[in-house]
Amino acid sequence: MEKPATVTAPQTATTAPEILAKVKVERLENSLRYGYVGTILRINLSDFSVSTVATASYVPKYIGGRALANRIFYDEVGPEVGALTPENKIIFMTGPTTATGIPTGGRSVFTGIAANNYPEQYAWSGIGGWFGAEVKFAGYDGFILEGAAPEPAYIFIDDDKVSFFSAAGLWGRLVHDTQATLEAMHGREIKSIVIGPAGENLMRNASITTSNDNVAAKSGFGAVFGAKNLKAISVRGSGVVVPADIKRLFELRLQMCSPAMRPNPVVHEFVHGMDGNQIAVLGGWYRGQVACSHGCNQHCCRLMMDMPSAFSDSETVNQVEKCVGIFAYGFAEDCAWLPIMSWETEQNTLPPCKMLSGEPPAPDLSDPHLPALFAKVPGDIVNYWKPDFHKGSVMMHLCNEYGIDKWDVIVWYFTWLSMAKKEGLLEDMDFGMEVDVENEVFVRYFLDMICYRRGKWGQLFGEGMARATRELGYEKYSRSIYHGRYSQAVPGLQLDLPVSLETAWGMSYHWAGRGYEGSNNKPTWLAVTLMQMTSTRDTQTVAHFHGDYNDLLAIGDDPCHSRILVDDVIMNENKAELKDSVSTCEWQSPDLYWTSMEAEMFTCATGIEITEEELEEAAVRSKLLMRAITMRNHARTRQLEVDSIYPSIIYPDCHGETVTEVEFNDLVDLYYEARGWDQATGWPTRETWERYGLADVAHDMQELGMLP
Amino acid sequence: MNARSYGPHIVQYPKEYSLCAGCTSCEIACSLTHDGVVGPRYNRIFLVRGTSSMIHEVAACMHCSDHPCYEACPEQGQAMTLDANNMVRIAEEFCTGCGRCMKACVFEPARINLVKSKVASKRSAKKCDLCAWRAEGPACIQYCPVRCIGLSSNPVPEYSPAVAQAPDGGQ
Ligand code: SF4
Ligand code: SF4
Repeated sequence: MEKPATVTAPQTATTAPEILAKVKVERLENSLRYGYVGTILRINLSDFSVSTVATASYVPKYIGGRALANRIFYDEVGPEVGALTPENKIIFMTGPTTATGIPTGGRSVFTGIAANNYPEQYAWSGIGGWFGAEVKFAGYDGFILEGAAPEPAYIFIDDDKVSFFSAAGLWGRLVHDTQATLEAMHGREIKSIVIGPAGENLMRNASITTSNDNVAAKSGFGAVFGAKNLKAISVRGSGVVVPADIKRLFELRLQMCSPAMRPNPVVHEFVHGMDGNQIAVLGGWYRGQVACSHGCNQHCCRLMMDMPSAFSDSETVNQVEKCVGIFAYGFAEDCAWLPIMSWETEQNTLPPCKMLSGEPPAPDLSDPHLPALFAKVPGDIVNYWKPDFHKGSVMMHLCNEYGIDKWDVIVWYFTWLSMAKKEGLLEDMDFGMEVDVENEVFVRYFLDMICYRRGKWGQLFGEGMARATRELGYEKYSRSIYHGRYSQAVPGLQLDLPVSLETAWGMSYHWAGRGYEGSNNKPTWLAVTLMQMTSTRDTQTVAHFHGDYNDLLAIGDDPCHSRILVDDVIMNENKAELKDSVSTCEWQSPDLYWTSMEAEMFTCATGIEITEEELEEAAVRSKLLMRAITMRNHARTRQLEVDSIYPSIIYPDCHGETVTEVEFNDLVDLYYEARGWDQATGWPTRETWERYGLADVAHDMQELGMLP
Repeated sequence: MNARSYGPHIVQYPKEYSLCAGCTSCEIACSLTHDGVVGPRYNRIFLVRGTSSMIHEVAACMHCSDHPCYEACPEQGQAMTLDANNMVRIAEEFCTGCGRCMKACVFEPARINLVKSKVASKRSAKKCDLCAWRAEGPACIQYCPVRCIGLSSNPVPEYSPAVAQAPDGGQ
């Protein structure tokens, strides 16, 4: 197989890195005792200084994780700050459950002005692995990264010693090589977050990677690291995290998402993919299941073992596949939808972690809704590319090693290349190679081009699809209709789809009724669309919509006038704030029939008694802070958000339907009313700010003329 | 040929039976059960992590019959004792945390952990005691969600879908 000459092969040699600065941290007395470790680090890369902030000055009011990061960002970063400027701050925050052993608490979150949304706005990105736990063992609940290093650097946090090293020997290295080199230099027990060459080259889809190929991919924070000249952060901690209630903790381990507690054998599979994307694999392939993060009780990540490498015909690699990766291999047909994926009953639920681990609970046959819950709606025929096992593996491996968000590569770049070519839009573009998404050589060539920003097209597409299509000409290159989409829900029905699968804020479709994962029903895609509207990025990775099946029945065929749907949306949004704050995981939460789960996790970790209602109040507070940031920093209004989202749903869903702008606005009215936001402007009222303990924000909004 | 002999210890089963998920639950259950904390100096079982291979190995005390850790302990008989089964036990109230037992461990990584502290009373070595005091047996085995570790005295289970589907995972 031909390889592009430009690919940087994994390297191994390393020399001792030059130390740029070393700081001893005075950690703060921890008045919190349980769950939290008490200190937040502030790291300034411009002058290599380090200081501390007391966690207790923010919690329990701002819980931890994303809620706490929202407050810090609101307090510290004003408008006009670009993603790739030194003024941008990246805030990394764990939750009070992180490193306690409460399942799913291992997940942590980054926030900051994102490189990848359009226009640039404040956003977040979650990550699993062991890094968050190790940060707490080192004595910190999180850190705030400020400034930009004068030269490529990496940070090593070793308990109370923070060292800044030259990254001259790491810059240019691929992700796994960077991880291995750091471990060779500082010891196997360190935990690292690193960027690959995509981040270094400010490719806007660049991710940050930690162990087990866990990535913070949404938001393009890898490019923000690159702009800060920051290649990696390694950490080693020798301290402890003390959960308040160990007896309860062990109960939670066996209660949360009912772990099967049974062997997890490596399975020799002979077929890959689902439905119309299935491939018979000659000789088979090996599948294992692994956990994503510290202390989890599930194993949702599909480990594909001994897969073809992008760099060597003689070596193989292990890689992890979650939901989207499967489409790298074959994308002739969109993902199917079962109502139970969104609408559940008490007897029958299908948590994503169970689906992905291949351990779905046995259906309860006594449930009268069972047939409806499992009435599969097949995905549309889209014919983006034929199944190809080798090519799919190479695409995944290159994304992993370059440090690029797989989502946008699979769902957006390559679908666009496929559709735009078929619609004759690429005829006068000379990429230096024929555009052919079914040719592995082209896949390598294109990914290499955008990662290393090679030539005119590498520069352009390295800016991400939202920006690239606008530069080329939005109407033609984004809104032209692809004529190759055919419904399977209504067999034979040809459906319009824009060649660029863009929804609001520079994101691609995700369970939005068209585009990728588009065969859900109207109430569900409306819920998804509403969630996306008030956000700044794809919400579905942390807020897959879930509701009770009886709600779906009550919503009936008029979802745009359903307060039940709005209340379900708000519940999902609030739970999403909690997932990134307490923290827990999208694939175990929300549990619709154990609604106090997150509050019980919080109390178990911290010893702070909190009711479900009080925690929900904290979730709303976090959502309101996000609203305050988007209003003050990004001039968010009702008109802006409706105008940004509505055009993405003018295309038909798999039944050939959509809603009118008037109907959608009726739904928005209901939503704002339920949230306590002014219907004309979309801005929260004083009463709403004050009800959630944000009188200071109300004051700021009044000064800005944004208090309705 | 390795002439060394071992007492009962924690073993990791082959991946064909059950693949370690890398969840660290074993380390966590161990340190929580013994010390009520989670921290990398407190677990007596070690997950040797494959950061990017995603293949992880579990390492725990092998309970060597010739116990070189015990032989190296300057407080032998007090901080380190031998129980009726020739298994080395640490009496933490007498342990000074000098770390000689850890250095004497013949395995890499060493199967003894060490809490370092400026406060002398907090310094201590930590070593697997097979949770001999727990009615439920070893906490690490009990809370491993994929049943990929077990006691060496039990033969490696053979995988069969029927075993895997059993409510107790064939334990
Ligand atoms: S048997 Fe008990 S002491 Fe030994 S490693 Fe397992 S949990 Fe720790
Ligand atoms: S608990 Fe089991 S699956 Fe998890 S890391 Fe330990 S041995 Fe592996």
